Amino acid sequence: MSEVPMTRYKSLKHMPSTRLLGTGTPMCAGCGGLGALHEIYDILGEKTVFVNAAGCMTLMSVYPFTPFRGSWLYTAMASAPAGAQGIRDALDILIEKKRISKAEDLQVVVLTGDGSAYGMGLSATSGTMERDLDYLYICYDNEGYGNTGQQFSAATPHAAKTSTSMGPRGFSGFKKDLFAIWAAHKPAYVATVIGSEPVDLARKIEKAMQMKGPRMIIALSPCPTGWDYDPKETVEIGKLAVKTGVWPLKEYINGEIIHTKIPRQRQPVEEYLKLQGRFKHLFEPQRNETLISKLQNKIDTYWENIES
Amino acid sequence: MYRIRFHGRGGQGMKTASRILGTALFLEGYEIQDAPRYGAERRGAPIFAYVRADKKTINERGIITRPDLIIVADDSLIPVPAAGVLAGIVEHTVLLINSDESEQTWQHRLNIRNKIITLPVETEDRAELRFIGATCTGAASRLLGIISLASLEQAIKDELAELGPQIIDKNIHKAKQAYEKVAPNENCVSQGSEITAGKYLPPDWIDLPFEAAHISAPNVWASATSMKVNTGVWRTLRPIIDYERCNKCWWVCSTFCPDSAITVDESGQPHIDYDHCKGCMICVAQCPPHAIETISEQEAAAQDKLKEEETTS
Repeated sequence: MSEVPMTRYKSLKHMPSTRLLGTGTPMCAGCGGLGALHEIYDILGEKTVFVNAAGCMTLMSVYPFTPFRGSWLYTAMASAPAGAQGIRDALDILIEKKRISKAEDLQVVVLTGDGSAYGMGLSATSGTMERDLDYLYICYDNEGYGNTGQQFSAATPHAAKTSTSMGPRGFSGFKKDLFAIWAAHKPAYVATVIGSEPVDLARKIEKAMQMKGPRMIIALSPCPTGWDYDPKETVEIGKLAVKTGVWPLKEYINGEIIHTKIPRQRQPVEEYLKLQGRFKHLFEPQRNETLISKLQNKIDTYWENIES
Repeated sequence: MYRIRFHGRGGQGMKTASRILGTALFLEGYEIQDAPRYGAERRGAPIFAYVRADKKTINERGIITRPDLIIVADDSLIPVPAAGVLAGIVEHTVLLINSDESEQTWQHRLNIRNKIITLPVETEDRAELRFIGATCTGAASRLLGIISLASLEQAIKDELAELGPQIIDKNIHKAKQAYEKVAPNENCVSQGSEITAGKYLPPDWIDLPFEAAHISAPNVWASATSMKVNTGVWRTLRPIIDYERCNKCWWVCSTFCPDSAITVDESGQPHIDYDHCKGCMICVAQCPPHAIETISEQEAAAQDKLKEEETTS
């Protein structure tokens, strides 16, 4: 193990109390992605430049309004990592030519949804890891193309109903393992986070900030609109995603994968599923035991190796 | 030809309402078009949907610019420029607004003489809000005066088939209630005239000369300007902190509020910014000592008014 710096965020008491991200964004009430982003932004601070691929969060900065205190750039859906390369290069040149001081340097942060991260933008992202680009990638993963009415994406879980998988069995595909794909590139850092676990999130962002090279974060983002539940349940569903083992909190660092929060006595996956309208067809009009146990088995298989 | 335009917020079911009305008109023997406008579909965003109906072939296409009937699911949309509720309004345009305020108030406020029919919202129960679409469609059917109750009921059954009998019955009930309520205004919507291609007004073009990116790209040179946007008007429910029960943990509500709308002062007391709280109620669900209560915006507004009166008298 290499020297992992001591964390400032030992417990909830040590969490930042500032709220840097501006109010008044047009995100849905109860947006899990915005929840994660505002927690992340409190840790990252103002010395950042966000490169945003097309998606829900593009709507956050619509002229003349922005919730950010630093810079923000909009790119097409597949090109945010390429945009980050351009900005990083420009900053490096400015520093080299002494047009800005080292103290004025900015963290380059890519912000995309799962449509871009798991699908359209994957090739550009792979390129940045190949070139060891010094940047932070934040994917808010709401498991579908939320901004256009929740069509399925490569991040949609098996059996979920989306506007393009309406049948009694829901989405026939399986959620792509982006963590593994990213980790296979051997970048500086890969981590999964969720807004409902703010201390775990804060420690990971803090760690990523102190590193160089590609640092990749996937934030599972419960989505009241796309997942069809009452907005007040966002944090509860997030907590259940961790407690049921659906969303493993882990990090890839120095060639190793470490689970940062192993749920003791995992709850049955249906506790997570039954709160969401997108899985309602698993319980009504009658319980689909086959499909529920298929989902449970997949989770059990994943954790078998880790728990033992 | 009847030209009907729907305005609502994402999640209020205006897209579905336009489909139901379209189907009901179809069942009455009309040729119809119904389509939502492509755009942001997130909850709370202004949504548009259009229905055209005629006894002859409809050659018109695209968005409706001269509506005969405008249906507004949410009166907070009227002052929102992006919603364009009053766009293209003509003398005979009828407005159907879901609002607790009177026709006269709206006529005065908007400075128009058009016929306005309001449907009181009555409830702030979130579960009830799902039926705004049915209420609007029921009322609109009566205002048009060409849709029978049987066709309306059938259209709801057809369009909501996958939602199950319970929800369908509730929608039919709501639609019928509204259908009865606006009976005095039956048949008040008249058909707009045909517009021939030659009579179309040319659009107001503005010539934008090509300029360098540093001039033409919209740049924002200030930070956190989004705070100027009053997202508090989205709220239908209001969270209220009971400071006697609040244990000053300081972080739960403030950290979990996705909108940064809860800040904590030096003594550890949280404060909700009602100009920006969207009413998601995550704070209510997460507060460990259950110190945050929910009241409806309607009730809250009434309480505010009382307080104001007390202080002025």
